[in-house]
Amino acid sequence: MTAAIIVGLLVAGGVWFLAQPGLLRVILGFVLLGHGVNVLLLASGGLDRRRAPFVGDGAGDPAALADPLPQAFVLTAVVITFGVSVYLLAILRAESVEDPDVSAADDMDETDEPRAGR
Amino acid sequence: MLLALSALTVLAVLAPLLARLGLGRELGYVFAAGFAGVAILIAFHVPQILDGGTVETSMDWLPSLGVSFALRLNGLSSLFALMVLGVGALIMAYCPRYLSSHDPHGAIYGLLTLFAAAMLGLVLAADVVLLFVFWEATTYCSFLLLGLAGGRATRPARRALLITAAGGLALLVAVVLLTVVTGSTAISDILADREVILASPLALPIGALIAFAAFTKSAQVPLHFWLPGAMVAMTPVSAFLHAATMVKAGVYLLMLVSPIFSGVPAWSALLVSIGLTSALWGAFMALRQHDLKAILAHSTVSQLGLLVAAIGVGTPIALAAAMLHTIAHALFKATLFMLVGIIDKEAGSRDIRELSGLWRVMPVTATMTALAGLSMAGIVPMLGFVSKEYLFQGIFQADFAPAAGLVAGSIAVAASALTTAYGLRIVYGAFGGSTHQPGLYEPSPAFLAPAAIAALAGLVLGAGIDLLNPLVARAGADVVPGEPLGAFQFWHGLSPEIVMSVIAFSSGLMLFLRRHQVDRLLDRVVVPDAGAAFDRAHAGLIAFGYRVGQPDRAGGTMSHLVRPLGGVVFLAAVGFVTLRNLPPVRPADTVGDWVVVGLFALGVAAAVVARDTLAAVAALGFVGLLMAALFVTAGAPDVALTLVLVEVLTAVVVVWVLRRLPARLPTGDGPRLPWSVLLALACGLAAASATYALTGRRGPSTASSFFLDNAEAATGGTNVVNTILVDFRAMDTLGEAVVLGAVALGLLALLGSTAADDHTPEPPADADHLSAAASVFLQVSARLVVPGAALVAAYLLYVGHDAPGGGFIAALVAGVAAATHQIAHGRLPRWSRPELLVGSGILVSLGTGLLASAKGEAVLAPFKLPGLDAVGVGSALLFDIGVMLMVLGMLTAALDRFAARTHRPESSRVHP
Repeated sequence: MTAAIIVGLLVAGGVWFLAQPGLLRVILGFVLLGHGVNVLLLASGGLDRRRAPFVGDGAGDPAALADPLPQAFVLTAVVITFGVSVYLLAILRAESVEDPDVSAADDMDETDEPRAGR
Repeated sequence: MLLALSALTVLAVLAPLLARLGLGRELGYVFAAGFAGVAILIAFHVPQILDGGTVETSMDWLPSLGVSFALRLNGLSSLFALMVLGVGALIMAYCPRYLSSHDPHGAIYGLLTLFAAAMLGLVLAADVVLLFVFWEATTYCSFLLLGLAGGRATRPARRALLITAAGGLALLVAVVLLTVVTGSTAISDILADREVILASPLALPIGALIAFAAFTKSAQVPLHFWLPGAMVAMTPVSAFLHAATMVKAGVYLLMLVSPIFSGVPAWSALLVSIGLTSALWGAFMALRQHDLKAILAHSTVSQLGLLVAAIGVGTPIALAAAMLHTIAHALFKATLFMLVGIIDKEAGSRDIRELSGLWRVMPVTATMTALAGLSMAGIVPMLGFVSKEYLFQGIFQADFAPAAGLVAGSIAVAASALTTAYGLRIVYGAFGGSTHQPGLYEPSPAFLAPAAIAALAGLVLGAGIDLLNPLVARAGADVVPGEPLGAFQFWHGLSPEIVMSVIAFSSGLMLFLRRHQVDRLLDRVVVPDAGAAFDRAHAGLIAFGYRVGQPDRAGGTMSHLVRPLGGVVFLAAVGFVTLRNLPPVRPADTVGDWVVVGLFALGVAAAVVARDTLAAVAALGFVGLLMAALFVTAGAPDVALTLVLVEVLTAVVVVWVLRRLPARLPTGDGPRLPWSVLLALACGLAAASATYALTGRRGPSTASSFFLDNAEAATGGTNVVNTILVDFRAMDTLGEAVVLGAVALGLLALLGSTAADDHTPEPPADADHLSAAASVFLQVSARLVVPGAALVAAYLLYVGHDAPGGGFIAALVAGVAAATHQIAHGRLPRWSRPELLVGSGILVSLGTGLLASAKGEAVLAPFKLPGLDAVGVGSALLFDIGVMLMVLGMLTAALDRFAARTHRPESSRVHP
């Protein structure tokens, strides 16, 4: 139940951001959606078993160990999401350099950053 | 056989190199010799074939699908192979005098030879999948050769490609269906399963698809219009592909499947009606043309129609006649094309209204044209006469409907009359009448020789039909098993066919003699233009596609996403209605979980309402840390550790980007806001209900139990998540790490240009934002943090197999070290060279995987390292080192590129 609510919150927030103007919000939305899917993946393994999946001597009852497969998925997904977010940020940055309107359109301009671009 | 095919392919590949040898135009003779040599290789087998044997060779190609690279030379394929190679050699010998020195010789000879190889493969293929591949190859060779004609070829080339490629797709479906029905892709097995195929409900689609494919390739009405259009190509291409060989691929296919379908009334009706319509229509259209090449192109449609009709009749005589006429047509049509090319070159025109009286200045050319024209018109004593006699006899045997033979025979005679008329028109139009261009002279013997050889062959083989009889009879035995064909005779007395011929000839002569009245009549007839109709349909399809894709061309992400997101909501609604009797939820929630939920709600709400960029990013960081907390409580310490590190590094990267961004987020449009909220809520609800309905309702999965039970025994590691990453699913991990490597390269490409104008080490662009004291403090702490973090990373990497850690996490820790160094010193540490890290990472991971396969194991199978096993170093660690290097490469690329000083041109700065 809690996992479902968290997924709902993250997805709703992510979609809302995607619907807003500006690439930065899209990136934020993408990160939130990524979180949402990761929680869903984790929940698919079942949250009633929560012992970290380490086996070997003294690991205790294997029936209490969490499902390792979704964790492996989520782990790579986290790193991949990070890579994609970085790439999106790079696009944002390349845009903001090439297109002066992006910054000029708003209330902050280059004067706030006196020594940039010496 | 394989040797012949490889020799041609190698010759094609070498063409661009040979073109640089300085042979100039003479290069064609090298290729002609090559073709002749390959023909001899094939001919070498002919005695064995004539004795009733076949030559077969086979290599595994896709063994899991039962598809093999199988070739076989039987009567039918040697007939077509020799025709392709023989005509090809003549065309190649024709090219040197036809091409000018500035033509792209390498491309022309290469593509023509490649086409010949594809065509040879097509007729040799003993596997339907292989047959399809070669069939497609001929289509694309034809397209590329058309493309050599430049801009004016755009529309014809597109028509030809779309129609023949559509036929190719039909053939592919037919091939798949045939394989489904018979369970084999071997042509011999399929042909042996006639009863099975005909009894199956798929017989109708298979037959229709094969016929459609053949009709597209062999330019049958109403898909014929691509062939006259293809005449924009240079003459050798028209002569070789669009007259003698490629268009015969359809005929070959129909003959090949004849053992299955011949005798089926629907098959006969379809082939005979389409074939005869094409025969009549092509001949009628040919009579309307004035351009010699256009006449020949429509004539090809007509002649192919006769062949298709004869195959449709399917009696032994009809099929044998079709084979003989295929040879006769290749000879006379290639001759005519080559001669038209000569006339075009010499007289500067192909229009019979402008040409006149060339026989006085070019008597040899005129004689050769007359010989080929006579063969086309089917007049004694040419080979075309013999083949047409037997075609008449064969078509007359049509019996799929009452009086079918009579009707079909009459149409064939009418088409033949028109053929005589336009044949005479070609010969008389160009060579007869008064001489307008007395300054012309005979082309050089070398230019004329290839055409002359083909024309004389048509003459000699008419009376010398016995030379062809054995091979045609052998080919017939492949197509009509069990029934030996009678030998063709040059003259078989006063028969109905002779009467038909005489009627055809005399009506054709009448049409020719009264050509002025005929012309006036023909000009008044308005003919439907199938090509224009095709173009309209094509344009309509493009416009339809444009309308379908319209929403995706709008700006903004939402117009792209609204349909998939709406689809998610719809799916959830469907699930809500249909999902019943779910297993009960297993209790899992703790009090702590509910606290986390509340914090999540706070974090997401804060991010959503934030108007300030930094606030939104901070709120998102908070959500990220909550995620880490969630993972810790859910028993996923590796994931939690990864997430925390990712959040730290994201913060570093975002800060670099935020320097360039407005402090406030752009404001949304008022009216769209409610819709965004509604959609967001609907999607959130859908996701939440799906998660609730579909998770947390069962015990451990079998996969989970498998990994928990086997991880230690199979890999030696006790951190099961890590063993999945580096052992069980190492290929996935390798792919994902390579994706990150690609991100690194993307970053270098995307942001490299902004810093490209100074490659010198960056002065600390932001260090001067910091006060001197802060800077010193940072630099001193960096001296402690960086080596410390590097040690931690190494430790996490080492223990990753058994405890929280591993390549991803180690890379992120090392990335934090690099970021600290950068913030303190304004540059990255010396060891962080993104492209080197990514490259060496790929080499290490892949090398480890391949080492396993070198040991005879599967790729990426775990193995022990001699001597190092005792200290816990195995292939898993090596692999993980590679992963770490790739991820670290991505991180350093990001740090390096984002921190790089951007150089904005002064002129573009905006000062309000």
